[in-house]
Amino acid sequence: MPIFGDVLKTAFQKRATLLYPFEKRDVPSDYRGKVEIDYNRCVGCGLCVKDCPAAALELVTLPSGNKKPRYYLARCTFCSQCVESCPRKAIKMTQFYELASYNRRIEVVEPCGISY
Amino acid sequence: MIQDLIDLLRIIVFPGFLFFAVLGLFFEWIDRKFYAKLQNRVGPLYAGPWGLFQPFADFVKLMAKEDIVPEGADRPLFSSIPVFALALSLFAVLFLPVCGAQGVLSFEGDLIVVTVILTFFVILVFLAGFSSASRYPGVGAERSVLQLLGYEIPLVASVLGAAAVTIQTEGSLQIKSIVETQSSWWSILGIQALGFAIFLLAAQAELERVPFDIPEAETEIVAGWLTEYSGKKLALIRLAKDIELAFLCGLGATLFLGGPQPILPGFVGALSSTIIFVIKSIIVLLILTIIRAAMSRLRIDQMVNFAWKYLVPISILQLLLAVMVPRLIVI
Amino acid sequence: MSVVDIPIGPQHPAIKEPLNITCYVDGEHVVGAKLRIGYNHRGIEKAGEYQTYIQNLYIAERICGICGIVHAFCLTQATEDIIGKEIPKRADYIRTIGLELNRIHSHLLWLGVAAHEIGFDTLFMYVWRDREMVMDVIEDFTGNRVTYALMTIGGVRRDIPQEKAERILKVMDLLDEKVRKYKKMCLDERTIRMRCDGVGILRKEDAIALCAVGPTARASGVPFDVRADDPHAAYDEIPFRVVTYDTCDVTARLLVRIDETLESISIVREAIKRMPSGPVRIRVPRVVPTGEGVGRTEAPRGEVIHYVRANGTERPFRWKVRAPTLANLLSIPVMLTSRGDYVVNIADVPITFASIDPCLSCTDRAIRFIDVSSGKSWVWTFSQIKRMYWRD
Repeated sequence: MPIFGDVLKTAFQKRATLLYPFEKRDVPSDYRGKVEIDYNRCVGCGLCVKDCPAAALELVTLPSGNKKPRYYLARCTFCSQCVESCPRKAIKMTQFYELASYNRRIEVVEPCGISY
Repeated sequence: MIQDLIDLLRIIVFPGFLFFAVLGLFFEWIDRKFYAKLQNRVGPLYAGPWGLFQPFADFVKLMAKEDIVPEGADRPLFSSIPVFALALSLFAVLFLPVCGAQGVLSFEGDLIVVTVILTFFVILVFLAGFSSASRYPGVGAERSVLQLLGYEIPLVASVLGAAAVTIQTEGSLQIKSIVETQSSWWSILGIQALGFAIFLLAAQAELERVPFDIPEAETEIVAGWLTEYSGKKLALIRLAKDIELAFLCGLGATLFLGGPQPILPGFVGALSSTIIFVIKSIIVLLILTIIRAAMSRLRIDQMVNFAWKYLVPISILQLLLAVMVPRLIVI
Repeated sequence: MSVVDIPIGPQHPAIKEPLNITCYVDGEHVVGAKLRIGYNHRGIEKAGEYQTYIQNLYIAERICGICGIVHAFCLTQATEDIIGKEIPKRADYIRTIGLELNRIHSHLLWLGVAAHEIGFDTLFMYVWRDREMVMDVIEDFTGNRVTYALMTIGGVRRDIPQEKAERILKVMDLLDEKVRKYKKMCLDERTIRMRCDGVGILRKEDAIALCAVGPTARASGVPFDVRADDPHAAYDEIPFRVVTYDTCDVTARLLVRIDETLESISIVREAIKRMPSGPVRIRVPRVVPTGEGVGRTEAPRGEVIHYVRANGTERPFRWKVRAPTLANLLSIPVMLTSRGDYVVNIADVPITFASIDPCLSCTDRAIRFIDVSSGKSWVWTFSQIKRMYWRD
């Protein structure tokens, strides 16, 4: 039984499990986490809204008449297609991945730049 | 009057029911934790220190769960099986010599009662599967009886092998005298090592653990004979199985490792006999867990085949040796 | 004893996805089996008709949670077939690396599941622990563990810079050693061999007649591998061996998959070594010209075919997916029927079924309507559905 030796050896090894909320592993530098939109750079062309496969972006008209995307975090599938579609490079992916929340309204990022 | 009270306490609290219920849950925790360790996992973690209370938490949770009896089931039988199972396992543990050389119950021939109890478990399993009136439990019950045909003879032979010396010298079949003969020389240190190995395999089959978890093979027949049980009934069955685990580990420790006899022969240490007994039982348990981790489940035909081709002949050989060798030495 | 039918699924611990196998059992022996699929129809093809080609890439990836790169690759292949532009060589190599990493992770996952099906949980835990290494590499390289978003029409979205390539190579060395150890373990471990040898036999002529694909066919001695037969991406420039075994049982499928994992590791190494420099994508127009395109590749489970018909808009007119499990499912009743000396036990059903590496969420696309009370079944054509339910 070749596994027998392995089983006995494992008894003296450190466990492979990470106790997640207390121990975290590093994510790669170009990990696709929460989307961040730089509203100062955004010109409101709507290409990201058009390409988003999950309808997580929606174009809204601000009081000033400008159009900007509103971002629904709960719908986002983190494919980063919007990052690629944006002609002004106003969108980028962050490394932030702990996104669960009890409040659905937190998960909507409004164009004025505040999320509430 | 006082003596009656002490006897009652001995049966109900220590070393009887309550002690073994706690010990059973503790053994389940050791089993799970060590199994996880062998698999490079964590195992129970959150309930109590190192997850120590996890089996108890599971028990409490199951007690609170909804209890469903299938429509076509034989209701009285189906509902009484968990109680019978628990009663049987609690009865069995009374024979174990936890403190001192004899258990709560001890009489001439109690070893035979113990082996009969081991068979009764399988009858309960069969009735449980049969009364569920469902397909998976039916298959599970059928398998458990088939499996009994394979492991029962080796189990009894190994138990008798351990008793061979006492039968010859004292003409006794009492657990107490088996323990006493091991005061200077454990029976595992000799011809009985073979018997111990056979006992471990048979115990694994009796407890329905890998590689012989055929009657409740999860990926094949859901949970086998346990499939239709839920809520309180399942909690009681699980507790009964935990106590059975503790019982078989204890029996192994008693018959082969000298039970409550001191760890070093002749060494009268500060350790009380109970602690020595538990430590020896845990050693047996750890061996059982390693067996569980290092094998895959066999098929029922392979199991019976293996048992009759190898296990039964070897166990009979072992019994013959156990009978012959002491006599040779005496001659 | 009379024949009893034992239903396995749609909810059963052995089957991770919904499917129903009704086994006709005489004692412990299975004398017949009937399959029913269709519990997991998600309407992905229809959804694809309402979305643009770019959006479809991400839906295609979600056809299967395990071989996501494969489906996205097939869709891009079919679309590029219509557009008719050559993609850069470097993109081809990166696609190949992606496909092979996907195969390694899928085969290791399967090995763990198979070990679990025969009750060998320790091997299951060890294999999945080591599979994390390849998952981490994929995360490093594509940006996520499961949904890769690597492919795009006209190339790939991410390049592999030097330092990432080195990290991949390092993990490949580690994995190579581990997988060899598991191969030895599977060959030498008595209880595994007892459960797998001579179980789930699919003879070569049956495999051909029932159109089995992938490792299932190769374990029956049919040397059919789309990578070798119809080279795409960079497979024509990288030498590799098509692994076949001819014992036709579960052990053969086990060994085919382990050997293929080793083969994939060497393909990844070779691809990284030979990767030319240059751009990784070309820009393609959003509007795809009218035409038809087919993409096919060897997924971990067998041949995947995507068919796309374009009508000169941003959205496909029709998109059809044939996943490998659909082709392999037909051989399940044959494997599960005892005949002559070949006996199937109830205990063999889970491992036999698992041995084709079923992925039902990929598979369930056709719908057949069945009236449960009368047993009548029928199929509605597109025009009938349109007449009944579409209002415009």
